[in-house]
Amino acid sequence: MEISYQYTKMRGNFGRQPQFCEQGPELCDSIPTALGEHKNYILRNPVHQLTQNTPCYSANEVNTLRAEYSTTGANHAEGGWPKDIPVTDPEATQRYRRKIEKDDGYISCVMSAAPEIDHYTHQNNAIDMYGIYYTEMAPTPAIECTSCRTVNVYRDPPPVRPISSICWQPDGGSRFAVTYIDLDFKRIPRAPLLSYIWDVENANNPEMTITPPCALLDLQYNPREQTTLAGGLINGQVAVWDRRGGGFAQLVSPQHTAHRDLVRNVVFNNAKSGQEFFSAGPDGACKWWDIRNMSEPTDVMIVDVMKSSFDVPSMVTSNGVSSLEFEPTMPTRFMAGTENGLVVVGNRKGKTPMEKMPAKFEAHTGTVWSVERNPGFLKNFLTVGDWTARVWSEDCRDSAIVWSPPHRHKITAGTWSPTRLSLLALAQWNGLLALWDLLRRQHEPTLTMQVCEEPLLRLRMHEGILEREAKRERILEARMREIRLKQRQAEEGAGSPAASLGGLEPLGDQDLTAAAAEYLAQVRKEQGSMS
Amino acid sequence: MEVKECNDLAEENQFIVDDVSKIIKEAIESSIGGTAYQHNKVNQWTSAVVESCLGQLTKLQKPYKYIVTCTIMQKNGAGLHTASSCFWDNNTDGSCTVRWENKTMYCIVSVFGLGI
Repeated sequence: MEISYQYTKMRGNFGRQPQFCEQGPELCDSIPTALGEHKNYILRNPVHQLTQNTPCYSANEVNTLRAEYSTTGANHAEGGWPKDIPVTDPEATQRYRRKIEKDDGYISCVMSAAPEIDHYTHQNNAIDMYGIYYTEMAPTPAIECTSCRTVNVYRDPPPVRPISSICWQPDGGSRFAVTYIDLDFKRIPRAPLLSYIWDVENANNPEMTITPPCALLDLQYNPREQTTLAGGLINGQVAVWDRRGGGFAQLVSPQHTAHRDLVRNVVFNNAKSGQEFFSAGPDGACKWWDIRNMSEPTDVMIVDVMKSSFDVPSMVTSNGVSSLEFEPTMPTRFMAGTENGLVVVGNRKGKTPMEKMPAKFEAHTGTVWSVERNPGFLKNFLTVGDWTARVWSEDCRDSAIVWSPPHRHKITAGTWSPTRLSLLALAQWNGLLALWDLLRRQHEPTLTMQVCEEPLLRLRMHEGILEREAKRERILEARMREIRLKQRQAEEGAGSPAASLGGLEPLGDQDLTAAAAEYLAQVRKEQGSMS
Repeated sequence: MEVKECNDLAEENQFIVDDVSKIIKEAIESSIGGTAYQHNKVNQWTSAVVESCLGQLTKLQKPYKYIVTCTIMQKNGAGLHTASSCFWDNNTDGSCTVRWENKTMYCIVSVFGLGI
């Protein structure tokens, strides 16, 4: 619609003030309802009314613009030297090269291009990758590789139970005793109580089954007598087994002299008789036993920390023992780790309570899981507890001398290597075996090995690494001797018929006649001198 | 002289309802005429009526702005009431409403003229 209107207005009418006033409301129009028409309406009933309640969707497809690629090649026959440089003249090229190298952008350009060029050089298949290069360079010293591997897995015949102790047969024997224990919180066994003695060579079946009267927590070989084993039971009794006598306990200490709580540790002490051991447990007492008379303990010591020499040790204030240590070269001393984190040094020769417990170390904030003296440096010992492992010296009472950083997982056991004095092994709750060589590294293990997914509970080093090597050498020697003997026999077997006929016997006769003649000459000479 | 000028001005600028009513009636007659109500043609009719009205009004050559509304209703017995209210200059501005009907429908056209 094109409507246009031009108008002119006098200057005097510009900006005239309008005088607005309100008008209305007034009815523009009114059409009354025609009632007569109503009769003509037909009421609809029902009324169909469609309503859509579901949401409306719409699908729309859009295709983005495609990026178009093209591959082009470049021929490197061009480029190289500038045209005015004679390529064949080495002086000219050298001069040009020097000029370029003085350029400011040269270094940054080379530096930025170097990684890429390096990459492409490595891809260059014109280089013989099996060739030996840099033979003229001195070889770098080899990095010492340490490794660790699982030799054998000795499986508990199902049901699989947690292990409470391991003990190697002494003097480098090839057997070890393992106790298994699976109890609920009321100390009622959930699985059979059998413990086993295994042979290292045979992982299929245990060599011997130990049948304890009740749950067995610790089982230790007698270091003097390889057939005897002592064990601690959950009811506080200690028992003795003899390997020759079958799996049932030979001797059991009577109930009335037993510990008040379970026996967690049993250790043979190095008495001359080889028949003495001592035991300890959470009741806070150490008891010494003699196998020859198990009716009562030979000695009892209460692990109680004395403040003064007038204190009398009492079971009420005693500390529950969680680990025991005994070093055969120090027969009167022992050490006990307690459930409240102390390590107590005991002296059996002491007269007063103070002398009996001459030293204590506040080793950990929780239970001390293992205590062990270093086999070479007897003043130093290793403790394990509260997520750390610590090495102590008996001279420093207040602080450890070496300690590991706190671990994410609990350390359950620790032990020194019997042959390499700086090496210690830790068993961890996450199934990791960590080997620390203190001479090499102190902030982290030298070697870790994931033994299994389950927590590791106990750890024992076999003493006989030298014995093992010696045994191997002996076997090799014997084998060599056997081979030599066989060779000789074969040689003799080939040569003997001829020798027996003509060679050996006449030679024997000649010897015999010569000896007889010599003897007779001697006799005559003696007779002549006598007469 | 002065008075005459005033009158001239007044006459020139007056919104003359009769003229406008005539224009509207002509516009309706020309657009709708004698046709019967057809629902789908209502849009076309209203715009035709309004455009024709506006075209004629501008031909009057008066300094006015115009507002034109058109209502078409089928004659089916229903009632309709429409009213308006304005705030304007009563000297110059004015409005005019025309109702036109045939047998089948009503057509109500309102024109508001507002002086520039």
